Amino acid sequence: MNVIFAVIFLLSSLLFLFFDANGFLSALLSGAEKAAVLSVSLLFVYCVWLGFFKVMENSGLSKKLSSRLFPLSKKLFRSNDREALLYASENLSANLLGLPGAPTPLGIRAAERFCAEKNDYAADMLFVLNATSLQLLPTTVLSLRLSAGSASPADILLPTLICTLFSTLLGAVLLRLCYLKKLRAGQKR
Amino acid sequence: MTLSRIAALLVPLLFVAVFVYALCKKVKLYDSFTAGVKEAIPLAVSLFPYLAAILMLSELFEQSGLSSALTRMLAPVFSALGIPAEITKLVLLKPFSGSGSTALLSELLSAYGADSYIARCACVAYGSSETVFYISAVYFSSAKKKRLFLPAAISLLSNFLAVVLGCLLCRVL
Repeated sequence: MNVIFAVIFLLSSLLFLFFDANGFLSALLSGAEKAAVLSVSLLFVYCVWLGFFKVMENSGLSKKLSSRLFPLSKKLFRSNDREALLYASENLSANLLGLPGAPTPLGIRAAERFCAEKNDYAADMLFVLNATSLQLLPTTVLSLRLSAGSASPADILLPTLICTLFSTLLGAVLLRLCYLKKLRAGQKR
Repeated sequence: MTLSRIAALLVPLLFVAVFVYALCKKVKLYDSFTAGVKEAIPLAVSLFPYLAAILMLSELFEQSGLSSALTRMLAPVFSALGIPAEITKLVLLKPFSGSGSTALLSELLSAYGADSYIARCACVAYGSSETVFYISAVYFSSAKKKRLFLPAAISLLSNFLAVVLGCLLCRVL
């Protein structure tokens, strides 16, 4: 992240320096403004979902769900931290259902615990699964197409599903390949 | 559209089902819900610096002309891979900014017509990729983990190949 930030920041700044020195500060300011607006709208989303998740937790539903998903998520993430695995599987379910904003707080908690466990593989797997967008129903695209007057808004569903499955599987397999040696060494130990 | 109606039902159904279940388990709904909401403000505050940095970066990226220069440079490469030149910018912007690429998608939809080949490619490209940099900034904001290069590179590559596949599928299907 540090490298990407430095490279893009400096390249863009140089372009501003040569072509449009006045635009530089206003671009930064408008970025910050967007961040403030986004944070507030995220706050609304978190209020709703964190309240909901707490009710789910206190009712024991989260525990039930996690023990159902435990064998599967254990294999996927190779972690023994039950709580982390619970958050991770809830995060993936929220992603699959396309609940807007709901996966983020769950993903953050899972990432925290995976990192505390020093389980790089699990943290990276969580990242890849989230960043390759595992989604059954692309709700944003559907509503945009509907409002743009599409005759058949749903005809992108099948290709999108195939592609998102493809990217998620490819990402997971590539990551597994990269960790193959480390994981084997870990098993021997 | 039956599908979008089902999608609309999903969230209220989920809430009703979980709350009824919680009531059966004698959970104090009001107390639990407010305890959860309490965590929302610290979370939003802790994310703010990362959001600010990433959004300033994406604003610089776009307004400096770097993104359009890259678009021009990469368009021939992209079209050799079967990605229409018109959606090159969308593919480049998506990893940085969700709202920016949503705006761009709706521009493309109205410019070319929602059912055109380009618009359908754009929809698939949008739907099958994800805001990779945003996720790397936000998800690992509180975790002490510095090396995210590997998963980020893998995600970007997988998403890109998925876009190539998507444009191919849009031509066939």
